[in-house]
Amino acid sequence: MSNEHTVKSYEEELQFLIDSVIKMGSLTESQMVDSMDAVIKVDKDSIDKIIKSDEEINKFRSKIDTQIMTLLVKRAPMAIDLRETISSLKISQDLERIGDLSKSNAKKVKPLPLDLPEELLANLKRLGDLVIKQLNDVLDSYVNKNYNKAKEVWEKDEQVDDLTYIAMESVINFLSKDKKNLDFSTHLIFATKNLERAGDHITNIAETICFLIKGEYLKGNRPKGKVIQE
Amino acid sequence: MSDIKIKSKNLNVYYGDKQALFDVNLDLNEKEVTALIGPSGCGKSTFIRCINRMNDVIDICKVEGNIEIDGIEINDKELDVVSLRERVGMVFQKPNPFPKSIYDNISYGPKIHGKGETKNELDEIVERSLKKAALWEEVKDRLDEPGTGLSGGQQQRLCIARAISVNPEVILMDEPCSALDPIATAKIEELIDELKKTYTIVIVTHSMAQAVRVSQKTGFFHLGKLIEVGLTEKIFKNPDNKMTQDYITGRFG
Repeated sequence: MSNEHTVKSYEEELQFLIDSVIKMGSLTESQMVDSMDAVIKVDKDSIDKIIKSDEEINKFRSKIDTQIMTLLVKRAPMAIDLRETISSLKISQDLERIGDLSKSNAKKVKPLPLDLPEELLANLKRLGDLVIKQLNDVLDSYVNKNYNKAKEVWEKDEQVDDLTYIAMESVINFLSKDKKNLDFSTHLIFATKNLERAGDHITNIAETICFLIKGEYLKGNRPKGKVIQE
Repeated sequence: MSDIKIKSKNLNVYYGDKQALFDVNLDLNEKEVTALIGPSGCGKSTFIRCINRMNDVIDICKVEGNIEIDGIEINDKELDVVSLRERVGMVFQKPNPFPKSIYDNISYGPKIHGKGETKNELDEIVERSLKKAALWEEVKDRLDEPGTGLSGGQQQRLCIARAISVNPEVILMDEPCSALDPIATAKIEELIDELKKTYTIVIVTHSMAQAVRVSQKTGFFHLGKLIEVGLTEKIFKNPDNKMTQDYITGRFG
């Protein structure tokens, strides 16, 4: 946004909304980092903290909803302001879902054994690191209103698909070694799938940011990596 | 794609030394509503007043360039202005019914244009016009009462009924709801939606929300220039011009 609104309080309300989305984003990101860390280290002590942080994220979501309703009623935003408002709504929805997925992954740590194969953990970590990087990049593109960066994130989801496939394979490998691993493997498969879903929400955010900046949706289909059979 | 009803080409208007419009090129589609927006003094009212040559009544006003309706130049000095205004009706900011009965307000125009020869014909025109203006049910039992005794919203609909009584092709509306409450405004807006099936409508409005609600096309004027014109949805969601964006989002000045 270049010029400021004639009505100063309108300007402040919009900025406040954007700030809320940014804060919610950084909370979601650190929750995801913690959750991934808990999975990789099979750290059962941090589960409660991660579940707690999800409540915080959900509170942000309702706060943002209220801010948006007030803005719509009070200001009837137009053009870039309208897109900014609608985008906040959509981004906060995706962030909330990402928060749910991180929480779900943290919960999966509880039954896991402490001696998971290193290769499996390494593959999961590569996937987790990429998804975290994607989230960081997409939030960065939101803060800086950087169209190209958002588009890059959108395109890079293909790599998330590929790493999901590799992680899945190593979980299946782990399972095939010993039927006793079935329980653990089921949890790990869900955790992997959750990361892939988080990646999808991140691409949704990237699409929203592109729409916010240019007023039109990204054209064409997003590049897709290897597909996991559901 | 609608047909073009009104076409302005390089339209320049001057009030004495002061230029009010600069090279305005604007096409208005038939049976569509075009909204004109822009800050006060930007030339939007001057523009619509060119369409029925209302500027003729201002001595110091000089109009250059072309305005065509159905391909016929209307700035031609030979053109009969009275018959032009029969084709291009106008509704103003403040309701201005004649100090006459409701019936006479409507029948006056058809009478002077020789459109209603008999009482029956006039009765029919009055009823049809009031029905079209969504006022008939409210006034049918008191047609002989003064038009000025109606509420503001009713008066404005009476003026719209008066404008359509002579069966025009175009209706110009200069901030028709600015003196009305939200309910009366809603009624006029609904009426505009109905009227556009028959007429080409040009509306000047200061309400962005109203422009979005009633029009298919929107033009933004600033300092006498047409800055941007396009589909209303596009203008209010994602305008091309930064000045348009600044204006509609309240970042002007």
